[in-house]
Amino acid sequence: MKFLHPGNLQAFFQSLTTEFDVKVPVLTPEGERVFGTPGEGPPVLSGGALTAKPTSVFFPQEEELFATGREVSKPAEKPLLVAGFTPRDLLCLRFIDRFFSDGFRDDIYFRRREGAVVAAVSGYSGTDGGFVRLSGGEGDLEFVFDGSVWIVVPYSGAGQRLAALIHDEAPDSSLAPLLEKSAEGDNEDVAIINAASGLLMSDMVPDSFWERVADSCIQCTGCNLVCPTCTCFGVRDWRYGDRVERSRMWDSCQLEGFMREASGHNPLGTEALRTRRRIHHKLAADRTKWGEISCFLCGRCDAACPTGIGIVSVSRMIVASFGDRAVKAAHR
Amino acid sequence: MKRTFTICPYCGTGCMFHLLSDEGRLVGVEPSCNHPVSRGGLCVKGWNAFSFVGHPDRLTVPLVRKEGRLVPASWEEALETVAAGLKAVQERHGKDSITFASSAKATNEENYLLMKLARRVFGTNNIDHCARLCHSSTVVGLKDTFGSGAMTNSIDCIDKTDLVFVIGSNTTEQHPLIGTRIINAVRNGARLIVADNRTIRLARHADLHLRHRNGSDVALLMAMMQVIIAEGLENREFIASRTEGFSLLAESVREWSPERAAPLTGLAADEIAAAARLYAKAGSAMIFYSMGITQHSHGVDNVRCIANLAMLTANVGREGTGVNPLRGQNNVQGGCDMGALPDLYSGYQNVSDPKVREKFEQAWGGVLPESPGLPLTLAMNAAALGTVKGMFLMGENPVISDPDQAHAKAALKSLDLLVVQDIFLTETAALADVVLPAACFAEKDGTYTNTERRIQLLHKAVEPPGEARADWEIICSLAAAAGYDGMKYEGPSGIMAEIASLTPVYAGVSYDRLTPYGLQWPCTDAAHPGTPVLHRGRFARGRGRFAPVAYRPSSETPDAEYPFLLTTGRTYFHWHTGTMTRRTHLLDREERRAFVEIHPDDAARLGIRDGGIATLTSRRGEITAYAKLTEAVPAGVLFMPFHFSEGAANALTNNKLDPESHIPEFKVSAVRVRRTE
Repeated sequence: MKFLHPGNLQAFFQSLTTEFDVKVPVLTPEGERVFGTPGEGPPVLSGGALTAKPTSVFFPQEEELFATGREVSKPAEKPLLVAGFTPRDLLCLRFIDRFFSDGFRDDIYFRRREGAVVAAVSGYSGTDGGFVRLSGGEGDLEFVFDGSVWIVVPYSGAGQRLAALIHDEAPDSSLAPLLEKSAEGDNEDVAIINAASGLLMSDMVPDSFWERVADSCIQCTGCNLVCPTCTCFGVRDWRYGDRVERSRMWDSCQLEGFMREASGHNPLGTEALRTRRRIHHKLAADRTKWGEISCFLCGRCDAACPTGIGIVSVSRMIVASFGDRAVKAAHR
Repeated sequence: MKRTFTICPYCGTGCMFHLLSDEGRLVGVEPSCNHPVSRGGLCVKGWNAFSFVGHPDRLTVPLVRKEGRLVPASWEEALETVAAGLKAVQERHGKDSITFASSAKATNEENYLLMKLARRVFGTNNIDHCARLCHSSTVVGLKDTFGSGAMTNSIDCIDKTDLVFVIGSNTTEQHPLIGTRIINAVRNGARLIVADNRTIRLARHADLHLRHRNGSDVALLMAMMQVIIAEGLENREFIASRTEGFSLLAESVREWSPERAAPLTGLAADEIAAAARLYAKAGSAMIFYSMGITQHSHGVDNVRCIANLAMLTANVGREGTGVNPLRGQNNVQGGCDMGALPDLYSGYQNVSDPKVREKFEQAWGGVLPESPGLPLTLAMNAAALGTVKGMFLMGENPVISDPDQAHAKAALKSLDLLVVQDIFLTETAALADVVLPAACFAEKDGTYTNTERRIQLLHKAVEPPGEARADWEIICSLAAAAGYDGMKYEGPSGIMAEIASLTPVYAGVSYDRLTPYGLQWPCTDAAHPGTPVLHRGRFARGRGRFAPVAYRPSSETPDAEYPFLLTTGRTYFHWHTGTMTRRTHLLDREERRAFVEIHPDDAARLGIRDGGIATLTSRRGEITAYAKLTEAVPAGVLFMPFHFSEGAANALTNNKLDPESHIPEFKVSAVRVRRTE
């Protein structure tokens, strides 16, 4: 293991730019912490999850698929190196890696994803110095902040190659207290979301609940667009003279048109049904299909939702409203 | 991948976001993490704001009409044609035979330059912009009562208020990130009154939802004031120390009991009284309003009533209070601030004030016209009558946005010269003699001023397509082509320096002060921190003036021949004449066709089914639209958005104007409906 002083992060990431297309959380001149290149501003690994989903590096909001009469799908010049995934973000990445390769391989996704080096950020690096549990080996390497330095923990061969570029050795024991802290109980949200999932799967949440939640939904679609495990997209064709360009862009199950059939009928024709679908998909449908809840508590939809109906908030409402009933039902 | 921090081009909320681009092409949007208004969120239009920019339909070269057809031309030829053409019209028909429309989509700098071009280069005060169609009633009504026509408070005040009164604003659809703040305030304990006869989303969160008849706002508000005074709920200390004219107001509302207002408004008397008590008893209360108040033949009176109500209860000049007109366009506040108005220079300085005029004459080096020019709506009428013969439209599409489409088309077609500067070949541009291709919001630098008077920086993310240029560059080139050499700038920041030097409320504004989230005017010197709340301690005009009004009904109400009341507006997914949103994949998919909202009982009576086609006829025109059956509208009322050129709501609307603000009565006209299949 190696370590880096916070003051050396910029030089380290900058030194990698000849080999990689480096994406790392940086502070813009406006004071916004976003994914950027080391040249755009000082890297700021601490601060928790970024507003935008980090998986957008591989699956951007809009990308060209092909165009008639010219080559579009050119390979990237350099592989991506992406630092800034929280360990929870890495679980999301693992989920969509599987999604984009299950049954068919989405070559548009993998043209960026393949060969990319992914680094987690954890330790005392959360919002206001809060603790972020270690990834436990997800990704190629991990930057773990112990409160004074960044311990660099390699997991894959690519990770080891990068760690080898750092001079300062960290003793193996330096990670021990951080691993110990990571082993402490899960945060409360994990229990909440599991309980909500159970209530949904046992059909304990009535339609009237979804109507109430949907009253506050303005269909901004932000919950979907910031969610690292949302993968829905629409396809658009633009005709420039005799050339046609096809691209795909993020779509949202909160929009009426998303599920509208060509006939005009819509199986998700009401706001309440669509709101239910958004939560049900992550907490029940994916659990059935993949064996796990597809919300890994990154916190983005709760932060982006202008009216406070992100998935954790709604799960809390579900548990508060119907948790007792479920307990009673279980006892009967 | 490049990132550019900039401003959303749609509504006046003024959310900022990051535009992402890759090899010169926009590929996405990210919300600002910390912006004081958007706070990490955006609405669906904001999330998709990048998506129309690279559309194949963008205008890329100037077009000049030859032998009846618009054909590509060089910039030199196009600008020469415009400059010489406008002058030729003026030589034939007089200085004021041409008129300019500026754009609430353009930057402050561009609005300032177009008004400078009209006044200094072409010697006419015939300059206006689409605020004429949206908040001209506010500018007149609030200037009359408070001395300043702008939103008095800040969006942040919603977090601090005890009560929100929304009247004539579908806030969650039209100013979504403000609407959501209201929802959150209610969740945190604030009370909410919604006065709107459609069941808008906010109504679901309201303590009181008043479904008063379209056009009966004056009756409702007068009766509320009557209850407040009759029950002694007015704030006498505030009235005595801060206002004038109270006794006249009290006299004017004395006879307006809720019982008298009930049949006019369609409300029960006790609903009106309950609303009055709820509003008056709140420790702090904010009023939000928009087109439902302003777009009436009595729009100014509506605004006066709102100002009166707020002053009566001391809900002005403090945090969490105020009269808060929500400005529709991203820069309609700035368009007004910059003097793209026929009677005012930038900063609301009167063109007929000799001292003011002298200041601008010295700065611009030349004689300026004295008498106020024509408001946009009167200019269109003048064109129809043949007294205006040349028109320069920057980013305006009156064929779809003006009332009485047949009238607007006839007016435009009768011109000797029509010039349109735009980003797409709009329905109006298609009629033009010269079309100048402009850069859109993502392709230029500048500033926009949002509804809470926040002046923010717009940054260029990508190059304009083809030969398209920023509006400010085009205006400067046109000034040069017309022989004026006083419009040469290195960039928008230099234009702002000139604006600041001539505009007291912007005097402290410079680009280096606007990062990251801008300044709220008045900002009167380089050290001034900006002004989140107006009228603290003193109204802009000194004392607030109670302005009594007389109730007037709408000019065209339903009758036996045209039994339905038609009200028009916007939908959540589209923007105005659809030039941008109908070219945005997701937004277009959500609403692809003209529709009319009709109550199920009315539809059943007429045999119209959901999704069926209805024909709507008014005294001015006839269109077809898909029927949307919904109880969101009351029986007898139809709602239609005006975004669609096929099924254009404005083919039906009434070009009846408020006598003071000259705003058209978009919110009330009479139509008949029949099934068409």
